[in-house]
Amino acid sequence: MGLADDFLEDARSLADSSVLYNRQTLMRRAISTAYYAAFHLFVEDFVEHWEFEDQRARLGRMFNHGPMRNAVFAPKDKRNPTAVEQELLDVITAFGQLQKDRQRADYDGGWRLVETDVRDSKRLAEDVFAKWRKIKGEDIARHHLLSMFGAKWD
Amino acid sequence: MYLPTAVTKQSEIEAAIHRVEQSIGPDVVRIRYEIGEDWSGQWAIFFRIVLKDDAARSRLRDVATKVVWGLAQHLDFPAMGVFPYHNFRSESEQAMLQEPAWA
Repeated sequence: MGLADDFLEDARSLADSSVLYNRQTLMRRAISTAYYAAFHLFVEDFVEHWEFEDQRARLGRMFNHGPMRNAVFAPKDKRNPTAVEQELLDVITAFGQLQKDRQRADYDGGWRLVETDVRDSKRLAEDVFAKWRKIKGEDIARHHLLSMFGAKWD
Repeated sequence: MYLPTAVTKQSEIEAAIHRVEQSIGPDVVRIRYEIGEDWSGQWAIFFRIVLKDDAARSRLRDVATKVVWGLAQHLDFPAMGVFPYHNFRSESEQAMLQEPAWA
């Protein structure tokens, strides 16, 4: 298990504790950790293909939160995406939501969190993991990962 | 000042919300929204979805997915120049918090 899976496990554990103790700070940590689980999932998948193991961490530090969310993907037929395209769209939407909620959890002191916020972040992170691992070998997923890293098409 | 086309499509957005509320049924109590800039300064549409307690507690994955897919089917967010965000809470949670934006 890598960092991503460990973070996901921590996010689940924090989510459960935060609800059990009804503690706002634990809820915030749960949501933030859920985002970082997804973030590291993409970073790990990218760097594992770099042949030089001792350079992978350095390569991973090139990922930037904003550009990762801004990577654009459009299905060939917007009205009828293929199954793989729909999975990728789901991953993109979920990742964007996790990122936004992480920003609020970490910096918006006025946000009053409830159990559904925490359980939804867990759901989103789990969906990102399940769907990404299903499609990551597909062309459109590999190209999208490059886009998240900042690679341009032309 | 740049404004996304979403700001001129309020009636289309409201019609889509109504269709989604109808199609999913009583699990969705109401959907509210606003258009604004997100944390990174990009334009976004923020949906606030109140669910029945049972739906939020026991069927969140199923219902949330239907809401997200339903709205995406009826609204072309990229064409409207906005990124969609969806936050959920249960009826009881909203009753406790009494936040006007979710009313």
